[in-house]
Amino acid sequence: MGFLSPWFLAGLAAAAIPVYFHLLRRQQANPRPFSSLMFFERSTQSSIRHRRLRYLALLAARLALLVLLTLAFAGPYLLRPVASSDERRLLLIVIDRSFSMRAADRIERARQAALSILSARPPAALAQVAALDAQLSLLTEPTADAAELAAAVRSIEAVDERSSFGELARAVRALADSSGAVIDLNLVSDMQQSSMPPGFSDLTLGPKVRLRLHPVAEGPEPNFAVESVAAPGAIFDPAKVRVQVTVSGLHSPAARRSVSLVAGGKVLETRLVEVPENGRATVEFQSLAVPYGFTRCEVRLDPGDRLRADDRFLFAVERADPRPVLFVHEARDRRSLLYFRSALESAETPAFRLQPVTADQCESVDPTRFAVIVLADVETLPAAFEQKLNRHVRDGGAVLIAGGPATARRGRVPVLEEKVLESRYAARAGERFQTAVTADPAHPSLRLAAGWEAVKFFQVVPIDPGAGRVVGRLAAGTPLLIDRPLGEGRVIYFASTFDNIANDFPLHPSFVPFVEQTVSSLGRLERRTASLTVGSFVELRSGAEQGQAVEVIGPEQVRALSLEEAARAQSFQFTREGFYELRRASNRNEMVAVNADRRESDLAPIPRETLALWENTAEGNPEAVAEAGAVQRPWRLWWYLMLLAAAAAVVESLLAVKYLSVEREVA
Amino acid sequence: MLERFLDPKILASISGLDLVAKTVVDGFIAGLHRSPDFGFSQEFAEYRAYSPGDDLRHVDWNVFARTERCYLKRYRGETNSQLTLMLDASASMGYSSHGITKLDYARFLAASLSHLAGQQRDAAGLIVFDDEIRQYVRPSTRQGQLSRLLHAINEAEPRARTDFAKPFLHFQQFLRRRGIVAVISDLLERPETIIKAVEPLRYRGNELILFHVLDPEEISPGLGEPAVLVDMETGRRLEVSPEYARTEYRRRVEAYLRELRERALAAGVDYFLLPTDRPLDAALREYLTVRQGRM
Repeated sequence: MGFLSPWFLAGLAAAAIPVYFHLLRRQQANPRPFSSLMFFERSTQSSIRHRRLRYLALLAARLALLVLLTLAFAGPYLLRPVASSDERRLLLIVIDRSFSMRAADRIERARQAALSILSARPPAALAQVAALDAQLSLLTEPTADAAELAAAVRSIEAVDERSSFGELARAVRALADSSGAVIDLNLVSDMQQSSMPPGFSDLTLGPKVRLRLHPVAEGPEPNFAVESVAAPGAIFDPAKVRVQVTVSGLHSPAARRSVSLVAGGKVLETRLVEVPENGRATVEFQSLAVPYGFTRCEVRLDPGDRLRADDRFLFAVERADPRPVLFVHEARDRRSLLYFRSALESAETPAFRLQPVTADQCESVDPTRFAVIVLADVETLPAAFEQKLNRHVRDGGAVLIAGGPATARRGRVPVLEEKVLESRYAARAGERFQTAVTADPAHPSLRLAAGWEAVKFFQVVPIDPGAGRVVGRLAAGTPLLIDRPLGEGRVIYFASTFDNIANDFPLHPSFVPFVEQTVSSLGRLERRTASLTVGSFVELRSGAEQGQAVEVIGPEQVRALSLEEAARAQSFQFTREGFYELRRASNRNEMVAVNADRRESDLAPIPRETLALWENTAEGNPEAVAEAGAVQRPWRLWWYLMLLAAAAAVVESLLAVKYLSVEREVA
Repeated sequence: MLERFLDPKILASISGLDLVAKTVVDGFIAGLHRSPDFGFSQEFAEYRAYSPGDDLRHVDWNVFARTERCYLKRYRGETNSQLTLMLDASASMGYSSHGITKLDYARFLAASLSHLAGQQRDAAGLIVFDDEIRQYVRPSTRQGQLSRLLHAINEAEPRARTDFAKPFLHFQQFLRRRGIVAVISDLLERPETIIKAVEPLRYRGNELILFHVLDPEEISPGLGEPAVLVDMETGRRLEVSPEYARTEYRRRVEAYLRELRERALAAGVDYFLLPTDRPLDAALREYLTVRQGRM
């Protein structure tokens, strides 16, 4: 005997309520003083006992009512053996519809094989159709309806996701456990090697599952594929763009292939490449001339082969102008400008254009026109400019401030208006130099600045970090790099200079990524990848962007999100190849190219021995199969309990009317 | 004429026993159309010719003025009658079901009788008892006797058990003159025992009145559910069912009251039942009317 909802048994505690009222509360009644008991006798006890007995009958009726109701809700059942075991068997047909099934006519052959299996089954046998990609999708309920099953099989088309036999095994195990039936699993697939899980044990199907494999591909088929394309997501100077294409030949002989770079439907360049036998070849395109805005690009491989879907690789690029960066320095300080400009221009993607100006000439400069403003150790700033700059930062602007001797003479750091704590010279303290330590390695400024700890700092101008985040410190603990929000904007304070005098930072390789990443971070330039893989997710909104609508336009130019999803969805999973247009909660528009996982391009099948081993180990445990054949069906008892509860309710009502009406008369 | 009687709860709200007594007595006398000759002892009987040695205070000087003969005024019963009140202050007298205890009611009754006796210039005394004699005020007609009586009545508090034998034995020692003895008690004892205890007083020529003070709940308890009752004198506990209280208990109480009344009558003792929810002035008037009719 068991219970379908055993948690309801906790309701038995309610039986304590009538017990309390009938017994405990009665016994705890306060004694009443009476003038004399001379007219009462012991014989009255018998009357009370009689009354108690009657109350106990009422109590029993109430307890029975509560207990029966509780048991009924708990769903008790008895297991009774089922005479026929035929209906305990389930024919489960799983058709692989992964990306590799797009090769030649594999999916059609798989459909035909599945229909053959269905036609061979006994007419009354239950069957169920499922499709396999990254997950197992049940397309029908267990049914004996041949037409419904055949329609489900014919509706299966190849998709862009990869298949996972490990996921198949997990899902079938769960299905066998929940249904209790013996499952005859028929897997129709190209049995791709890449679908295998890391360990063979992950293919275990359970004792009640018998596996029959139906391969639809014979031997390893040669396949050429565009394995990857390395291209920047954003282009600022088309002449400096490099598009690197990797072409792989899988189980193929050496061959010559032409690789075309296509942008906006127009072939920009075509190159021939010699792909070695079962190897890879790389092609590099030196420029990518695309118009401003987002452009749909692809790399195409010709001639095509049996799996044409992987002979192209999609990627999306955005062309934009470099953003202006205002570099304010003292007129005598040319070194800072030299080093900073060099670092910024040598970046991989020159997304920023430096515009230098001396501190005494910047009065008329409008800071709002610049993505980032750099104050390189300035002593005096025109009051008008400083006022505009302060307002700009509080409205969302970004400033990088370097502190040095000029800042120390000024006494206060501009914009932040923090007092300079000291101007510390390492040499004066008897130290030759000081080194830095990273306090926050995840900060954009230091994330790529490997070797930052080797920089020698001779002079620092520290300030109180206040509400800012200390990203880097000197070994002695002095704050060196502070990231501090100010109003809607942001300020990064570097407590030294860029002039190779107060430190030797500009001479270190870490200076270039430091400058590039710091300016990119302040300028809110996000690194975009040119393409993603099917199955990957994209975040649509941050925690602070709740309640704002997002939009995803799929490859067929239709909305991929429902209205509710557009209002609430945090992320989106790409399930198909193609170009997706995203409009995030922050109103930023973006284009994403999605390609199938290239592991699907390897059409090498699982060795026959391995398949035989899997099939043999999934023959089903005879005892478990016999047990399932003679399976016991649960006989639910709640109906009978409810009848008894109704009877108890009637008895309780009758007793209550009988006994309690006497009390009312007395009262 | 609409007669308004004094609810015992109203009496309980009056502060001062003297005022309560006056209110009650004035009330029932007013109801009887104020008869100055009405009372325990001053019922006028006849005139008797003066003979030497008679107390000159009883000469009716009005008659002498009209007839120039000395006549003495004679009253029914004892002249200068002595009223002794015996107030039961046992623990059971503290029972109450409706705001006024039996002892409160008994106090009002005792105070009213004292006031009445004082008005008639009868000597009035008081014995407060439970299982012992707790308080004794010698009967007297002296100035301030009423105040002493009321003070003693006021101080009576319910305690201990009722034992009729011992206080009545002692009481016989105090009783030097014949008179009226009024026992105010709930008489929660076997009728045979009560009558046996009070009967000797009767033998000495005293007139004995039993004022039986009971709470209505004691006569007819209204239990809604089984209850544990605690005897206020013995502390004994007993669980009682409503059915028993409704049937057997009432039958027993009625038998007890009937037996007590019959035994009292047989012993020549006046018996008067006073439920504490009954207006005291009305009850007193009824009793005195009945008493007058008997005399």
